[in-house]
Amino acid sequence: MTSGSRREFLKAGGLVLTGLGIAPLFGTRLLASPGPKLIEMRSDALGSRVWFDPIGLYVQPGTTVRWIARENVHTTTAYHPKNDHHSLRIPDGAAPWDSGFLIKPGATFDVTLTVPGVYDYYCMPHEAAGMVGRIVVGKGTGPGSQPFGYWVGNPGTDGWHRVPDAARAAFPSVARILAERVVHPIGGQR
Amino acid sequence: MKGLALATVVTALGIGIFTLPDVAAAQRESPLPVASRMHPDSSTAPLQEPPGGKYKKVSTLVPLPDFIPGLGTLYVDPATLPAGPFLAYDHQGHLVSSIYMIPLKDMNAQKAFSGLKIAHAPADHVDIVYNAGHPGVAEPHYHITVWYVSAQRAAQLAK
Repeated sequence: MTSGSRREFLKAGGLVLTGLGIAPLFGTRLLASPGPKLIEMRSDALGSRVWFDPIGLYVQPGTTVRWIARENVHTTTAYHPKNDHHSLRIPDGAAPWDSGFLIKPGATFDVTLTVPGVYDYYCMPHEAAGMVGRIVVGKGTGPGSQPFGYWVGNPGTDGWHRVPDAARAAFPSVARILAERVVHPIGGQR
Repeated sequence: MKGLALATVVTALGIGIFTLPDVAAAQRESPLPVASRMHPDSSTAPLQEPPGGKYKKVSTLVPLPDFIPGLGTLYVDPATLPAGPFLAYDHQGHLVSSIYMIPLKDMNAQKAFSGLKIAHAPADHVDIVYNAGHPGVAEPHYHITVWYVSAQRAAQLAK
């Protein structure tokens, strides 16, 4: 993600304001051009099926990604030990993000991704149901490109949570994302 | 799992066997016939929001909107999570359903849920619907909903 304390601060301000549905004054300036890549946070009416669309996305370093809640209540949360002891599945040195719950339809959350590599993320209330997504920034490297249990037995990983089976099955492969650039869930739903 | 599901449904349908504490108190204090006092469609004395007692509005416990489309305004005794019952009220504050939320992992583990409370109100129908999760029950589970209103009225909770 973007480095530099001032830029981090401005970006963080934009994130908070955007997440609250308030005019993103800082974010507007930061997101001036090119426009953010949009990822929709979806659900059927019953809350039985939930998904990110696209579920896989390739972007260049420095791209801002914007999640928008369409239905239901969702989060976009990076796989990172700072997020409730989830395993590390974003590049070393990249800052984790957690949108918090986006309750109202239309609520958005922006993250600018600058460190190349694979970024895996999940929806907090729906991870166990397999609502996850993957972004490849520039190249398909880093912890997110490794097998899900790569960290087992490594020092300092005590307490990390394993990725649920439904989530493991949902991730598109890095190779597919590199080949197709944008991967949608099958039929618009998982 | 089949046994559990059946037991759960039977429990959920055990209308009149288990009584919400506040409902029981209302019954003792009111001179009205039970049917007119307790039926949520009744214009005389419907079960009104808030339920009181140990029930807390769900939106004050977890990040959810006050009114959840399709369900209503929910209240739950936190000590009963995740099963509930969750008491659901419509926009007018009338009780419309009791909802039981049963995690799939508990079903697969053949866990029993017995003695679940239910309102003293005539049930119209029951829905059993899979839910992928939400704040408060952040895992796949089933909503077993005992509706005290018609399907037509339940549909009006969509917005």
